Amino acid sequence: MSNKYVEQGLSAPVNLTWEVSLACNLRCSHCLSSSGEPAKGEMTTAEALDLVEQLHQSRVFQINFGGGEPFMRPDFEEILAACHSRGIMTCISTNGTMLDAERVARLAASRLVAIQVSMDGARRETCDAIRGHGVFDKAIAAVKLLAASIIPTSINTVLTGQNADEIPAMHELAQSLGVSLRVSRFRPSGRGADNWETLRPTPAQLLAFSDWLAKSGDVRTGDSFFSLTSQERQGLGLNLCGAAKLTCCVGPTGNMYPCAFLQTDRFKAGSLREQSFREIWDNSEIYESFRSLRIHSCEACNRFDQCHGGCPAVAWHLKNDINGGDPECLERCVTSIADSNKTAKAA
Amino acid sequence: MHPACRVRQEGFGLLFYDSRGPRLLFAETGNLLPSDFYSVRRGRDEFPAGLTTGQQQALGKFINQLLEKGFLREQ
Repeated sequence: MSNKYVEQGLSAPVNLTWEVSLACNLRCSHCLSSSGEPAKGEMTTAEALDLVEQLHQSRVFQINFGGGEPFMRPDFEEILAACHSRGIMTCISTNGTMLDAERVARLAASRLVAIQVSMDGARRETCDAIRGHGVFDKAIAAVKLLAASIIPTSINTVLTGQNADEIPAMHELAQSLGVSLRVSRFRPSGRGADNWETLRPTPAQLLAFSDWLAKSGDVRTGDSFFSLTSQERQGLGLNLCGAAKLTCCVGPTGNMYPCAFLQTDRFKAGSLREQSFREIWDNSEIYESFRSLRIHSCEACNRFDQCHGGCPAVAWHLKNDINGGDPECLERCVTSIADSNKTAKAA
Repeated sequence: MHPACRVRQEGFGLLFYDSRGPRLLFAETGNLLPSDFYSVRRGRDEFPAGLTTGQQQALGKFINQLLEKGFLREQ
């Protein structure tokens, strides 16, 4: 079982999420990092290039770039080139609005990049209500450019109450454009926390999505450490949160965190301005606490082997307790619906 | 090694990564096989120096597995 090796501790993450800037030309209502203006003191080009070299020395296989909108950084393609010249594979999460044919051609030349374009609805109105007026059309144009290139491309959709009914249509849209679909979980961090009650899917929607996903073999979901179909997840033999074990997050100012959804002082593992990447990965107490995290309260659950307690970030944001198990897990969705039905009957 | 794959040494042996899946392969090879052994073209029956016959046979089986799973390419 692969979990055994992961729990022994790896010498470096398999992949790493690097939020290169908080700058973004959009103001999506579910944004996990409240992106908009750049953060004060974002890493300089020299610092970023030094980090790339450190990640190469540590033999990190892949860097997943996000933000903010990564292309808002004028030096972003220089950072990418530094990764690719060292053989590091990259994946870019972008809103697609800053891609044009010339940029796509430059990116394709590396043969080491994959791109996820964010779209949050199969209908223009649904997507634009979350991401802003005119974004749907720009994202579609970007996906078409990418689909015509050799770059592995996917549409990334965050599942919300507003778009839950459109996920099958998103799948058809992605297929019609010649790309894959990845559906990410909506988590209550950043502006997502401010708009949690408005945007969160209901338990019934989460269960319906889970059922649909099981029947839709090529749709990937955004686990904290990989983008995987349900079949791939079984094949990989991993069924646990990968934060601080298989992956970690570097924020725009060089702070390191367990994952992108826990970029707060409480979970700061260290600063790359004070320590090396390896020192933080090997010695951070925060990372150690995640590596030894066991969600004992979930152990009696019949789904425990499939999730090992779910997402600690959701548990933290909703209950201030990473040990308490995922409050939005499928088992709790079932319980919640059953409770609602009982209440309705009693009334 | 397939261009979409990477490998590195870990305490238990070798960790292979295939970005196409993505997939991971945890191989309990200890120090038998250096992680950079397949960074250059090798013959099917070419092994690191100093291995016993038994170790070579075990490694041969493992290399077949890597070929089947697409981590290595036969040319």
